[in-house]
Formats: sequence, C-alpha cells, structure tokens
Amino acid sequence: MIRIEKQAWDTMVAHARECYPRECCGAMLGVEENGVRLVKAARPMRNAFEGAQEDTYQLDPAEQLAVEKEARAQSFSVLGIFHSHPDCDAYFSKRDLQNSCPWYSFVVLSIQKGEFHHANSFLPNFEQTEAKQEPLEY
Amino acid sequence: MAKILIPTPLRQFTAGKDTVEVSGATVGDCLEALTAQHADLRKNLYNDEGKLRSFVNVYLNDEDIRYLGKTGTAAKDSDTISIVPSIAGGR
Ligand SMILES: [Zn+2]
Repeated sequence: MIRIEKQAWDTMVAHARECYPRECCGAMLGVEENGVRLVKAARPMRNAFEGAQEDTYQLDPAEQLAVEKEARAQSFSVLGIFHSHPDCDAYFSKRDLQNSCPWYSFVVLSIQKGEFHHANSFLPNFEQTEAKQEPLEY
Repeated sequence: MAKILIPTPLRQFTAGKDTVEVSGATVGDCLEALTAQHADLRKNLYNDEGKLRSFVNVYLNDEDIRYLGKTGTAAKDSDTISIVPSIAGGR
C-alpha cells in the first residue's frame, strides 16, 4: 500500500490544479517500510510532452536524474510517479501502462472542472501488460 | 572502473549501495557486470530474452546511449552510467 503524508499530498493536488486543463506529472519521495510506501515529499515535474498536454504527459530524463539526486541527498527513495487526468476518471490507461515502469507506484489524480475529485494508485508489471490497483491513503 | 548510479528504488537489490563500480569495455559490459554482482537486479533491467527492458534508458554521463553507440558505447574509467526509466502516459 501507499500512504501519502498531508504536505506531500497538498503539493500534488496544487500542482494538478495549476496545470489544469493540461496533465501534470511529478515524483513521490519517501521510505518503504514493511511493505508500506510512505510518501514524505512530492516533487512537481515538467510535462515534457511536446504536443497537446490535455491528455498526455512525459517525464524529462534530465529532471528525473535531478530528482534521483535530491532523493539520495535526503535518504529517500523515489517511490512513485503521479500524474493527473483532467476531466476524466483516475484510471490507468493503456498508454499509461505501456509507458510505465514496475519500480514505482503510479498515482493518478482526477481533476474535474479544475478541482480535485478522486485518485487511485497502480502497480504495473514488468511486461507492462497489467497493472494492479494498490491501496492508497492520503 | 566506471561508476553506475543505482536508481533509489533498486538500491534494495544492491545491499543499499548508491553506486556500484564495475569494469567493462562497453556500457553493455558494465551493465552485465553489475547484474553479475547483484543478481536480483537482473529481472529489473533485462527481459527473458536477455534484452534491456523497453522502459530502461541508459545514460553515459549526460548522454542517452541510444544516440551514441547503444550498449556498444565504449566506457572509460572516469565515466558515470545512469539508469533512467522512460515514463509517459496518456488517455
Ligand atoms: Zn494517465
């Protein structure tokens, strides 16, 4: 399961609202203990997709390296990646799955008419053919 | 020895180590040496056919090896190799 501390959660929601009606993205940093991923910090990231961002996001590899460095400096791990679905449910789409990575939890935030509506977390498999829903607390 | 930076979620497979030093003439050799030292990493980086998984992008210093010589890119002792998963999505 994944538990997101309030300050980190607030950062995620604020970033998703700011980017609306475009998709936002970012990283979740924290620690993993007894099978629980505890997110202690959220790091908004740039949507690097060069095109319509209303329904697409892409991480910038240079920024990913910078986030890894920040995580190391704080003795955190990058536990997951979050992104938003503007005016759409928080499901894990086929393209989300095909461009995912099994090392992370993927939290999707549904933003409806500019406001947070609901969220889900997913754990993709190694082949990127299936994602299990993961219990999410925030 | 080239230095490989271990992504934080994979440190659990390298006994907590942030960086692993490996010898190898190419980036591909270095990654093979890394997974020979830390066998549990292998599944995270390679598929059943022994190819790097599609989401695994590898950087030599600041350059994506796809635009250099892929896994055949020569690695020097002073080089740093980074593993960056390629992540995107859309509806
Ligand atoms: Zn999505």
